[in-house]
Amino acid sequence: MIEVNNLRKSFGGAKKGWFQKEKTPVIALDSLSFTANDGEITGILGPNGAGKTTCLRTLYGLLKADGGSAIIDGINVVENPIEARSRLGIFPDKFGLYERLTAYEQIDYFASIHGLQGSAKHQAIETVINDLEMTELAHRKTLGFSQGQRMKVTLAQALVHQPKNFVLDEPTRGLDVMSTRVLRNYLARFKEKGHCILFSSHVMQEVAALCDRVIIVSNGKLAAQGTPKELCELAGETQLEEAFVKIIGSDEGVAA
Amino acid sequence: MMISSLSQFKALLSKELKEAFRDKRAMMLAMTMAVMAPVMIFAMSKVMIKEAVETPAIYLKISGVEYAPKLIKALNNDNILLFDDVPNNKKTIWDERNLTLTIPQSFNQDMLDGKPIDIYLSADYSEKANLSPIRRIKSTINIYARSIGYKRLLIRGIDVRLLQVVNIIEQDTSLPNSNAMIISMMLGLYLLMAAFMSGLPVAIDASAGERERNVLEMLLCQPVSTVNIVMAKLCCASLIACIGVLLTLSLTSFSVSFIDLTKIGASFSLDFFTIVALILLLIPICFFASALQLFVAFQSKNFKEAQSMVSMIIMLPAMVPVIMMFVDDKPKWLNWLPISGQSLIMENLFKGLPVSWWLMIFTGLVTVSMTILLVFLMAKKLRSETVVLALS
Repeated sequence: MIEVNNLRKSFGGAKKGWFQKEKTPVIALDSLSFTANDGEITGILGPNGAGKTTCLRTLYGLLKADGGSAIIDGINVVENPIEARSRLGIFPDKFGLYERLTAYEQIDYFASIHGLQGSAKHQAIETVINDLEMTELAHRKTLGFSQGQRMKVTLAQALVHQPKNFVLDEPTRGLDVMSTRVLRNYLARFKEKGHCILFSSHVMQEVAALCDRVIIVSNGKLAAQGTPKELCELAGETQLEEAFVKIIGSDEGVAA
Repeated sequence: MMISSLSQFKALLSKELKEAFRDKRAMMLAMTMAVMAPVMIFAMSKVMIKEAVETPAIYLKISGVEYAPKLIKALNNDNILLFDDVPNNKKTIWDERNLTLTIPQSFNQDMLDGKPIDIYLSADYSEKANLSPIRRIKSTINIYARSIGYKRLLIRGIDVRLLQVVNIIEQDTSLPNSNAMIISMMLGLYLLMAAFMSGLPVAIDASAGERERNVLEMLLCQPVSTVNIVMAKLCCASLIACIGVLLTLSLTSFSVSFIDLTKIGASFSLDFFTIVALILLLIPICFFASALQLFVAFQSKNFKEAQSMVSMIIMLPAMVPVIMMFVDDKPKWLNWLPISGQSLIMENLFKGLPVSWWLMIFTGLVTVSMTILLVFLMAKKLRSETVVLALS
């Protein structure tokens, strides 16, 4: 379970040097609160620059919040970052591959970091490789992989330790239809097993099809939350896309 | 569930090593130093020996050759020849050096009269290439003049020894090894350079390179302490630096064995004790160098900046020993600091002077503790968002 309470974060506010002028800070998160439950897929929707990635980065401790807290399975990410991160599987916004390692070696590396060892590790790697249908890629060096292939490797390394909570930052960008379906099915199965999945996206159909709950973020604030259906009703539209535009467009009134 | 940090460290290190050894360009670069050093030392020693042993021909422009044929013959005997005889391929060189000797018309008459004769040697004394020819010309003329003077005294029945009032007998207390000082100084410099250069490409790649490729960020989201990450990177880079140093050391002692140093009355040998002491001295330096490089590379904004900043660090091992050569009264603390301490101990080692083990251990400890300090500073930096995302 992932809980976010009153998270605040701004960039570039502090006066740093003697000769630097004080700049007006960019407020990325403005008292954002939401909860992603176990056994549910929660989607974060929001326009570009709404603070989705900042929120997720704060969640895995890469950024320090100015205020508020992020709690994963009851563990505060600021107080105990390592313990919190061991319960997370992360598919980050910017990701790269170790280009001199093979896909298998890279997944192996992340599995070892998460404490898997011996035959259990081997088994886990084989499972995730089969699940993501990337057997042919496994023993090739990752240099020159296509965008979709790189995505798969990153997903595999995030999922290899079967994390209780799984955070994805726009996981389907650059994936073809087949790979997107593989991912969706995989996420759905993950959900069935009672894992908590939180992902940000731009693709409305995907969010509508996959998510149990949707959180709409705008200007670092929570604009609305609910099931896709509830959001449509709230905005008085039939399509989620229309509802989204309407909710983002009107700053006041609809905020839950 | 707490994950054992030792097994994490093992995974981190094995990945760093795999990446480093698969990076062929970085490895090539790392090992060039090891190959270059022995070649340079070999070539320079050869040149030095040649200069010290041989007396190459000097071509002197002499006006008034006809007035002093015997002096000219004496010069010729010492391979100091007339400019008219210069071979074509060397003509421009000697023309530029423009060494001229003017013999006065009255040379012969003054000689007969026993008067002092003024002959003029003109040359650019600040030109380094002229120094050795000038020295030789002067000494040849002096010897020639003195032998005539002695004969004059002998004819008059005076003991020549009356002229030698005080005779200095010089006793050189330096050990035979010390004569190979230049070679050993160079070897010391090269070993320090190798410690700094060999790990350099790997250190930059593992820090600024990984950040630029967006893999560092992903690693920092994992449940692993930043100290562990830094330690793994440091161990990998220093290991490669150590390999570079060992290779330099072994190739150099191999190549020096081909040079006949006995010609200039010197001997140079690396015995077992010296090699062990050198390795013990240099291993802490390898770690210190890599830590310094990682630290600077993590601080910089991008790969390019890291490269230029880290190259400045290479100046340290090159500059420090050179500066120390010019400091005659060395303050005590220079013995303890990294790089300067090691290079002083190395100097003593090569001179064959006794080396204090305590000083060696102490300098090593200072170096290691500075390395540890750097590791913790880096680990702290990696927890701050400005460094991780290269903000600010």
